Amino acid sequence: MIRIVTLAPFDEGDLAFLTRTLYRSFGVGTEHVGDRPLPKGAERPDGRFDALKLLDEVPPVRAFADDKVVYLTDVELSIPEGPLGEPPAWGFALQGGDRALVSTYRFAPRGVSEASIDVFRRRLARECTHFVGHLWDLHHCYDPRCAMHPSWSPSLSANPEHDLDAFCREKSERRIRLAKT
Amino acid sequence: MVTVFLVRPSGKREEKKEKDPALEGNIASAAELQAGDRVVYPNQGVCRVAGLEQKDIAGQRLEFVKLTREEDGASVLVPLQKVPSIGLRRVASAEHIEGVFHYLGASYDDPELDWKVRHRDNVERLIAGGVLGVAEVVKGLHSLARLRPLPAKERELYDSSRHLLVSEISVSLGIPPSVAEDYVDYALMPPAGVKLPLKPPPKPVELKGPPWKRKKAAAEEEDDLGLSELGLDLGALEGEEAPESGESEAPEGAEGEREAPAAEAPAKPERPAKEKKAAAPRAKAHPKPSRKGPKRAPAPKRPHARTGKAKAGKAAKKPAKGKKK
Repeated sequence: MIRIVTLAPFDEGDLAFLTRTLYRSFGVGTEHVGDRPLPKGAERPDGRFDALKLLDEVPPVRAFADDKVVYLTDVELSIPEGPLGEPPAWGFALQGGDRALVSTYRFAPRGVSEASIDVFRRRLARECTHFVGHLWDLHHCYDPRCAMHPSWSPSLSANPEHDLDAFCREKSERRIRLAKT
Repeated sequence: MVTVFLVRPSGKREEKKEKDPALEGNIASAAELQAGDRVVYPNQGVCRVAGLEQKDIAGQRLEFVKLTREEDGASVLVPLQKVPSIGLRRVASAEHIEGVFHYLGASYDDPELDWKVRHRDNVERLIAGGVLGVAEVVKGLHSLARLRPLPAKERELYDSSRHLLVSEISVSLGIPPSVAEDYVDYALMPPAGVKLPLKPPPKPVELKGPPWKRKKAAAEEEDDLGLSELGLDLGALEGEEAPESGESEAPEGAEGEREAPAAEAPAKPERPAKEKKAAAPRAKAHPKPSRKGPKRAPAPKRPHARTGKAKAGKAAKKPAKGKKK
């Protein structure tokens, strides 16, 4: 089961679209389980939130073994700087674990038009599929049409697909079948 | 009469490898290992040494080093004598890992288009190339994927080598695997407008694979040259009869060979030889259709090459038999 927890206000229509998409992508039940307050302890002096710390400090959600919990937020996230610099953080997931964090900070503004709302929803669905994919032990994919392609890649289109490619889909299905519950 | 059997001792090859250690960090003997050490088992990932274990197998008492894979806790038993030869090595240091990122961020080389060579090299790199070898496999397949989708086997190899690279970086730098993967992809495909602070990358791993394979490869190249000499004549033949031979001679394995000349022709002057190589099977296929018809005009051109002579001789004999009948 995939459980969605919001750390900021989100439109119900967006969440409904997201749950449908995640269900279609992974074939496991998806539901919005409620809101939680944003842990302020994870905030850095520059106003960004440390993604690792945030995921560590976020209030827990009641879940069963093999359940995956996705936290949605709208704050700017940061991850530790690497040898070549700091990659832009669209979210963070515990590889093969049970919790992921997705931020809408870098998305195009939601706007009020149908088109812009659709772009926002598709992007939200794509990023959540991406980070839930990490929870099922998927790695990044070289195919820009796959949801597991890195979110900052220059080859990604402005309105990217939110589906997995054949390889990633098969791998995630295998992982889900092997899950304990 | 006395028959002498020459038996090569099983450890001979291992001894050779011991004398010629492939890379820094390689573990040359089991004595270097202590319980609790973190090591990398090629193709398995980061393992922790659990200790020594003795087992009776087929009436022999054997001693094993017991490793526990960190990822899932699976146990791996390595016979003590095999420790130097399986490519067991220490987890790469942070400095070494930094070099890997500079290698990943450097500009792409042309990918190897011959799938046989590519597969052999990738397997050797994963076993004996250390963390840089794994990075080379990831980068090589990534650059190939930019040209065309990877075949299923190589897609799996790409995924597993990426997994090995990410887990080793994660352990070495003490960061979560998903962050390590972000670093890898940040180097491989930086966001638009970002210029990476790159240093000169470390030297790619020199493959020192089993010599018989290398000799075989060299022999194949010699064959290429021979065929290319043949091809000088057969090329002319091909020009005359190519439309007849059609596309029936396109096996799966030849895919890479056909593409190689197109992609690398400007880089190496000897590439036209490869084109001739691709043309060679077509040329061999020529005699079949020619039996039916009277198209024997190119035969006088052949005596330049040895094989050509032989074939021309056979061709000359066959019609004579037919006349007798």
